[in-house]
Amino acid sequence: MSESPQLTYTEIDRTVLDTLSPPSGGYWLIVMVLILGVLAGVACWVYQIFIGIGAGGQNIPVAWGTYLINFVFWVGIAHSGTLISAILYLFRAGWRNPIARAAETMTVFAVSIAGLFPFIHLGRVWVVYYMLPYPNQRYLWPNFQSPLVFDMVAISTYLTVSTLFWYTGMLPDLAVVRDRATGFRRKVFTVISLGWTGKHEQWRHYTRGYLFFAALATPLVISVHSVVSWDFALGIVPGWHSTIFAPYFVAGAIHSGLAMVLTLLIPLRKLFHYERIVTMRILEAVAKTIIFTGLIVGYAYTVEYFLAWYSHNGVEMDAFRWRALGDYSLEFWIMVVCNSIIPLLFFFKKIRTSIPWLFGISILINIGMWYERFVIIIGGVAHGFIPHAWGLYWPSGIEWGIMIGSFSLFFLFFVLFVKHLPSISMTEMKETLDHGGGHGN
Amino acid sequence: MATDRRVMGLFPDEKQTAEVIEAMSAYPWQIDRVHSPLPSHRISTALKLKKSPVGWFTLAGGILGFFTGFALAAYTALVWKLIVWGKPIIAWIPFVIVGFEFTILFSVFGNVLGLLIFGGLPDYKGLEEYDPRCSGEHFGIVATCTEGEQDQVIEFFRNKGGEARVFEELAADS
Repeated sequence: MSESPQLTYTEIDRTVLDTLSPPSGGYWLIVMVLILGVLAGVACWVYQIFIGIGAGGQNIPVAWGTYLINFVFWVGIAHSGTLISAILYLFRAGWRNPIARAAETMTVFAVSIAGLFPFIHLGRVWVVYYMLPYPNQRYLWPNFQSPLVFDMVAISTYLTVSTLFWYTGMLPDLAVVRDRATGFRRKVFTVISLGWTGKHEQWRHYTRGYLFFAALATPLVISVHSVVSWDFALGIVPGWHSTIFAPYFVAGAIHSGLAMVLTLLIPLRKLFHYERIVTMRILEAVAKTIIFTGLIVGYAYTVEYFLAWYSHNGVEMDAFRWRALGDYSLEFWIMVVCNSIIPLLFFFKKIRTSIPWLFGISILINIGMWYERFVIIIGGVAHGFIPHAWGLYWPSGIEWGIMIGSFSLFFLFFVLFVKHLPSISMTEMKETLDHGGGHGN
Repeated sequence: MATDRRVMGLFPDEKQTAEVIEAMSAYPWQIDRVHSPLPSHRISTALKLKKSPVGWFTLAGGILGFFTGFALAAYTALVWKLIVWGKPIIAWIPFVIVGFEFTILFSVFGNVLGLLIFGGLPDYKGLEEYDPRCSGEHFGIVATCTEGEQDQVIEFFRNKGGEARVFEELAADS
């Protein structure tokens, strides 16, 4: 298989290295706008620290607001990066090679952003060390039977593993940049490429190590979002206490992540002239995978209703009736339409091969997936067992500010990355030309 | 006086490189290393490379990780006993989840450690005898020979369609 038969090794290197040339004024303008967004988020967080956690819209019974929504959203975004870089690697899907680097990078940044939200939600963030298991004068230890503590372990592991996977995967490409750089930049890339020279002994261990990385990241990614789902499913709240939550969350995570891959790659492809590397066939393959994950998500939405009806549990049935027809019905229908109905448009070749459609639908899925977390997290506790404890929630301005800050930080990291590090894996592209697969395929 | 020399033959094609490696087995010169811009099964086969032992480090890390994670959770439960309905303090199912996450984490640490140790990284000294084209579009075979054989090696590489490059003398011995 050959994605772009006319490409040569030199052309691949040149195309990718050209993206690392000094940026234009427009680039710095985008960076400045994103920095302003980050500063707005930081200002809101600082305000919350001074005023107290009540600066957010959380209340009783809705104690988890956008901080948890965004946490789950960003962890979800991270997942498709690992799907593309690890799971599709194990399946020897050659089409993942040109987009694997961008997707892995998205994973690392998305997990980092997700990891911020528990800190923001803590209120007194400086006592975060209370959560660490070490002998202390307080005689306090974290309870490892709690899914929240599983989550802390899982997310820390995921961040560490995905960062190491990303960096290890980039080593040969860092050497390519080093060998074509001069001056200070060459010195920096010499250090960070660890003196990689592509010796046969290095490749021998590298390919084996990379395979194990992929084999380990695959169960990890499934476990991480399963653990995130148990934050809810292990509670007895109606609408949360469900055995389908783990696969439902994993599929939803990959669904949102694939959409984010399209959201990031389409502008990247245009701006950096990657049309010959990130071909329409690759974007089409992502769209087809979105149909698959969208169908799983749609099936999960349906099964939740079936389970509520089949249980004959009045509280459970009412929770789901209220979800579709109650105070948050608009959010519910945004979720259903954006996540399970609109992606079906990708069944039409004309739509899944059209850049504006691909980009537009990817944005809608991102919105839909954010609302999915809203519906689950807010909807569950807002309409629990006891009618006199029902309550509503809407994010405060401070929460919106922090959310804008988080999105700005994610895009800022990504924008900085694409101009300073190779955003396409040159090595894997060369392999695609020759073999159509991953390392050492 | 015999002097060790290192001669690099640069080739633009992976298949051609593998053929040259195979052809070199008929000569007394030793292949010191082969540089390539991508991992190659053809080259590995021509060099008759064995499977990397990195996996043993990964496995060791995983085993250590599982017991570390489980022990951490169990110890924590034992020093801060939360007895609920007389159920055992060491709860197997949740602690296996912690053990699982630590298995992955420590496996990856073992994997990276194995990769660094066996791959000889970081290796900044290796850049002294290296051609930057080998990270781009060329494959480099580095052969070790005596001073007297140097011209034959150069000739051999050129006859095979490659470009030859001689690195400076190594430690001289008699």
